[in-house]
Amino acid sequence: MELTSREKVIVIEQNQEIALCLKGLKKDYGSKQVLKGIDLTVQRGQIIGYIGPNGAGKSTTIKIILGLEGDYSGKVEIFGEEVTEQSVDYKRKIGYVPEVAELYDNLTAREYLTFVGELYGLDFQTADQKAQQLMKVFGLEEVYHARIASYSKGMRQKVLIISSLIHNPDLLFLDEPLSGLDANSVMVFKEILAVLAAQGKTIFYSSHIMDVVEKISNRIILINDGNIVADGSFDELKQQNHEGTLEQIFNQLTGFNEHKALAEEFVAIVQGV
Amino acid sequence: MKDFRTLQILDLCKGLFERLGVDYPVMRKILAVKLTMDGRRTPTIFNQQQAKKKNKPEENGFLKSLGMYVLLSLFIIPIMLFFDNYLYQMSIFFGIVMFLVMTSMISDFSNVLLDLKDKTILQTKPVDKKTISAAKTVHISIYLFFLTAAIAGAPIIAGTIKHGLLYLLLTLVGLVFVDLFIVVLTAIIYFLILRYFDGEKLKDIINYVQIGLSITIAIGYQILARAFEFVDLSITFTPSWWHYLIPPIWFGAPFELFLNHDSSGYLVGFSLLALVMPILMMMIYSRMLPSFERNLQKLASQSGEGKRKDNRWKNWLAGIVCRSHEERVFFRFADHMMRNEREFRLKVYPALGLSLVFPFVFIFNEIRMNSYASLVASKWYLAIYMACLMIPSAVAMLKYSGKYKGAWIYQTAPLTSLAPLFSAVLKVFIVNLFLPVYLVLSVIFIAIFGWRVVPDLLVVFVSSILFTVIFSVFLKDSLPFSESFADAQQSGGIKILLATLGIAMFVGIHFAATLVPFGVWGYLILLLLITYFAWKLAYKTMWNVKT
Repeated sequence: MELTSREKVIVIEQNQEIALCLKGLKKDYGSKQVLKGIDLTVQRGQIIGYIGPNGAGKSTTIKIILGLEGDYSGKVEIFGEEVTEQSVDYKRKIGYVPEVAELYDNLTAREYLTFVGELYGLDFQTADQKAQQLMKVFGLEEVYHARIASYSKGMRQKVLIISSLIHNPDLLFLDEPLSGLDANSVMVFKEILAVLAAQGKTIFYSSHIMDVVEKISNRIILINDGNIVADGSFDELKQQNHEGTLEQIFNQLTGFNEHKALAEEFVAIVQGV
Repeated sequence: MKDFRTLQILDLCKGLFERLGVDYPVMRKILAVKLTMDGRRTPTIFNQQQAKKKNKPEENGFLKSLGMYVLLSLFIIPIMLFFDNYLYQMSIFFGIVMFLVMTSMISDFSNVLLDLKDKTILQTKPVDKKTISAAKTVHISIYLFFLTAAIAGAPIIAGTIKHGLLYLLLTLVGLVFVDLFIVVLTAIIYFLILRYFDGEKLKDIINYVQIGLSITIAIGYQILARAFEFVDLSITFTPSWWHYLIPPIWFGAPFELFLNHDSSGYLVGFSLLALVMPILMMMIYSRMLPSFERNLQKLASQSGEGKRKDNRWKNWLAGIVCRSHEERVFFRFADHMMRNEREFRLKVYPALGLSLVFPFVFIFNEIRMNSYASLVASKWYLAIYMACLMIPSAVAMLKYSGKYKGAWIYQTAPLTSLAPLFSAVLKVFIVNLFLPVYLVLSVIFIAIFGWRVVPDLLVVFVSSILFTVIFSVFLKDSLPFSESFADAQQSGGIKILLATLGIAMFVGIHFAATLVPFGVWGYLILLLLITYFAWKLAYKTMWNVKT
């Protein structure tokens, strides 16, 4: 069927609305299959809570999207463009906070953040200015010229967060981004996420803290053993599973119901001394 | 970040890199960051004299370490000048260069070859893989260039003056191939280790290479300083099959071939190996690279280390040498800490190695001056006290740890006094670190001097325990494993000097005792008493820190 030019525009616009699309994503390490076919489409402006037990394949998914892992089968599309091993430019639109605070910590915050900014294509002045202002907002202007190695855990995490946002990305991958932040900074950061999403940024939020995921995400994806086992808003999941909290849903769907028995065993051993 | 001159020179090759499809400005930025970080590391070669530099302006640790290599290289010059056999001279030269480049590469540059951060930090940014690997290659090349220039610069100048321009050309080409050979060899060794072992093993191996480097450099000074005495030899070379297995000889052969126009078959063979092997290994390496990268991930994952057996003999020993239960607990703890902590090993083991060697420096001197027979009859067995010289600085190191922040555990544990901790740590020091050195030396000394020295050796052992008690004063005002190595002062030059004088005094007393009949036995009994009460006294006063 021949499309009219107006319809073509609509199709393109619809494509533009899709931030991320995974089709039949499979990955194995030798005999161990980590991803068993992930299909996922994410609209712009969504905050996705991406959860699952340790070893379920969460990090692997993110690493594949970021081009850190090759040798997978299936398709990854970002803003309508297919990602291959060679593609690089799509990374300009992505910000990433890794789970482990990996930084070149022999550098000062200024050196590190301008470096990252420049890699994303900002010029030095802009990157420097932005970084300094962002550090100030986080209350870190005093240590802007100090080596990251001397920072506390929370301070490093803030630097990592700044480095993931300095180039104003459209798609954010956050892996346990709140670790080490104090309660006030957590509030600021959650608010930042809400504002970013309202402006059409897409956020992929991965965490083990269910309360936070429950509150901030407007769509929750639960992955277990390499498969998506739940996908929907928190309310939808609640209805489907007849449970009250995300934590309970998580336990139910991952088939974990021994927490009471294990806790009792633990305490019994403690008291047995 | 300052603009590095190295990079300004590299800018001349900009066109070349761009033609290869490398994003030059990005590569330059990555290199600037890498060079800045290199400058902020403390190279292993400075290990022993790391000064506190909180308030000093930033200085480039890497460039400073090059100065040390230049100094070392001065000792190679006589080899270049006085041997008249090219093959021999150049083989020694390349041997030294290879050794220094390889050890330095492993100890200070492993983190470039084995970097995991690069992947998360750089590959998530819009930088293509070609640029990242180009940056890595150029980074290693810059490092190798400086290192090789520092080591080989002075000898090459001296050699060129003597042997002419063709020599210069051959050496330069030779060095390029040597460097290539070493990088690839190191990478392949890492690859094989990672293939069959886990990351922890590799870190251990790197640690031992670092220790070996520190020892070799210290001993190298002793030996190379004497190299002048041997330079008059002229050597004739008879080739045999196993020479084909020694890489420095390959690289020495072209000199004989081209400069002396000696085209014997074996020389051609060696020269061909020098040319072909690096290239061949390079090809093997690039084949292996993808699976190398995969194995590299092992460094990050903690593969469950096999269950360690409880060391029965250590438990038995703890029961013997420790009086209280707390002390036994701390004994096991200190044993594990000293054994497992790589940074601690790196700071202390070189001193152990040296204390094993130093006594023989004196003994060899005596043999050369007089004869072996006169040595055996002499009192040179007192040279074993040289091994005690490591006690003060090693004891002073006991308060440091790479994970010093863990020391809160002492304060939160329900203990009234930390005296058992101090005494246990010192006992572990004696048993784990001093005793092995002492036993090895004792066996060798008994072999040289005969059974008559046994009472003297016992005196030395008891004195060493006394030294340990005395020098535990260096631990005052702090707790074992509670301070960062970064705070380790220039190990307090004056303190150590005073300690050395103190040890010298004991040597004097011991010598005097040997002049009196049964003097040594009497001295031994006296020392036992003093040491026993000194330990008790220190336990009650100096080590008795309340929590």
